[in-house]
Amino acid sequence: MKKLLNDPAAYADETLAGLCCAHPEFYRLSPESPRVVVRPDSPVQGRVGIVTGGGSGHLPVFTGYVGRGLLNACAIGDVFASPSADEMAIAMRAANGGAGVLRLYGNYGGDIMNFEMAGEMVELEDITSSTVKVADDVASASTAERAKRRGVAGMVYAFKIAGAAAEKGFDLDKVTRVAQKAADNARSIGVALSPCIVPKAGKPTFTLQENEMEIGMGIHGEPGVRRSELKPANVVADEMLDAILSDGAVKGGDRVSVLVNSLGATPLEELYILFARVADRLDKLGAQIVMPLVGRYATSMEMTGASLTVLILDPELEELLRAPAECAFWKVG
Amino acid sequence: MRVLEGRLTMITIVDVRDAISRIQHQVQQTADDLCARDGQLGDGDLGITLEKAFNRLAEIGPTLPEDLGKAFAAAAAAVSKVSSSSFGTLLATGLLAAAKRSIGKTELHSTAVPDLLRAACQKMSERGSASLGDKTVLDAIDAAARALDSHPKDSVSAVITAVDETLSLFRDRQCKIGRARIFSDRSIGLDDPGMVAFRVMVGALKSS
Repeated sequence: MKKLLNDPAAYADETLAGLCCAHPEFYRLSPESPRVVVRPDSPVQGRVGIVTGGGSGHLPVFTGYVGRGLLNACAIGDVFASPSADEMAIAMRAANGGAGVLRLYGNYGGDIMNFEMAGEMVELEDITSSTVKVADDVASASTAERAKRRGVAGMVYAFKIAGAAAEKGFDLDKVTRVAQKAADNARSIGVALSPCIVPKAGKPTFTLQENEMEIGMGIHGEPGVRRSELKPANVVADEMLDAILSDGAVKGGDRVSVLVNSLGATPLEELYILFARVADRLDKLGAQIVMPLVGRYATSMEMTGASLTVLILDPELEELLRAPAECAFWKVG
Repeated sequence: MRVLEGRLTMITIVDVRDAISRIQHQVQQTADDLCARDGQLGDGDLGITLEKAFNRLAEIGPTLPEDLGKAFAAAAAAVSKVSSSSFGTLLATGLLAAAKRSIGKTELHSTAVPDLLRAACQKMSERGSASLGDKTVLDAIDAAARALDSHPKDSVSAVITAVDETLSLFRDRQCKIGRARIFSDRSIGLDDPGMVAFRVMVGALKSS
């Protein structure tokens, strides 16, 4: 293992401490837990609070998206591990401005169990909450079983849209509805070229031969749908886009946002090579790309590879996507 | 235990604190055995999970509020904080279910305990996706609730007997859920570690 760290057991804590130290205008640690990051102006009275939570190792997901027009608070676990229900409850309290709290997170067993429990804990304190689970990875389950899909980079769009809705003063039902619509309209798929190493484990989570790639691999190294020899970028882009389009068709005249995301080690250059192909294909379909995102938005530490997300927009989602927002990793407007 | 031994009575935070300290003591004696049992079927951390949970509960015991609902909720939060393993989460889930039923009450009649156990069992079943009969801690809790229904007096002894009988009943069955399911053949002849953990807890409540 070759990583810049002090102690594998302190990896998550030291990351969060550094993040808050670097960007105090966006992030502060909760006085109640070093694993809960809160927006400095949260809670905003009368506004719905948006919280998320999940394991470390995916920056800017999850904590990075705490910010104005985005999330209010976030609970963080160890690398690839769920935070505790108690930490999630602390995040929910920090986000509660009296108008309810939306729990918006990826569809993973441990996170679900703990977030449900956190919801029950704060319910005893009269904090109302709702849930939207992002399940956008088309490779992880069939269309018929889409509720079982994992949540990957599509959650970035859900954070943005929910955050904008809360900022506009929508009530909890309406914030929940638009967040669910964003989650439903986002479809993603990844491709991995090389693995990452969980610090405490000290060895790669899987192995891929030098000439191999795996389409559909999850952001924790969950098995994908197909392993093959590494193909040219355009072929890879086509395979990924085809998987997304066969799940949710994009028609002429549709407006979509596209995220070409690095899983960690893949450079921007290669992301733009992929983007050019995806844009060309969507253009031929007659679809209009709105606010494209290319970069490191949802990672798996040093994994090499990329993911593609397509978000199908309607006027309501587009307005919320374009609304001003700011965190250390993303600024809109 | 004063409250549950021999007569119908009211349970207050004093009794909850007493129960925590008794269970903590007993868990410390049996943690290695629980880990060894769990290691035969699972990841071998059950004893450590319980030890961490009850050490923490013993620490916060004196600060637990008199409102039993709030006390159980604080206990659930504390357990979830020190252990996000599956048994820790289930224990916290059970405590939270009990909290919901007790909020605003500083006293609980001992006859309310079976209902609390059933509420806990129901919620743990939902959260862990296990059913009665799957050879899990739920079967032991359910047996305890039934024993309390029929033996409102001398209840701790009745619960211990019921849990022992449940352990015997399930010993030669296969585990149907969790990691033990993968080794379901190997689970035949072995006690479910979660049931044994529950037996340790109720055993600690018996007056010496």
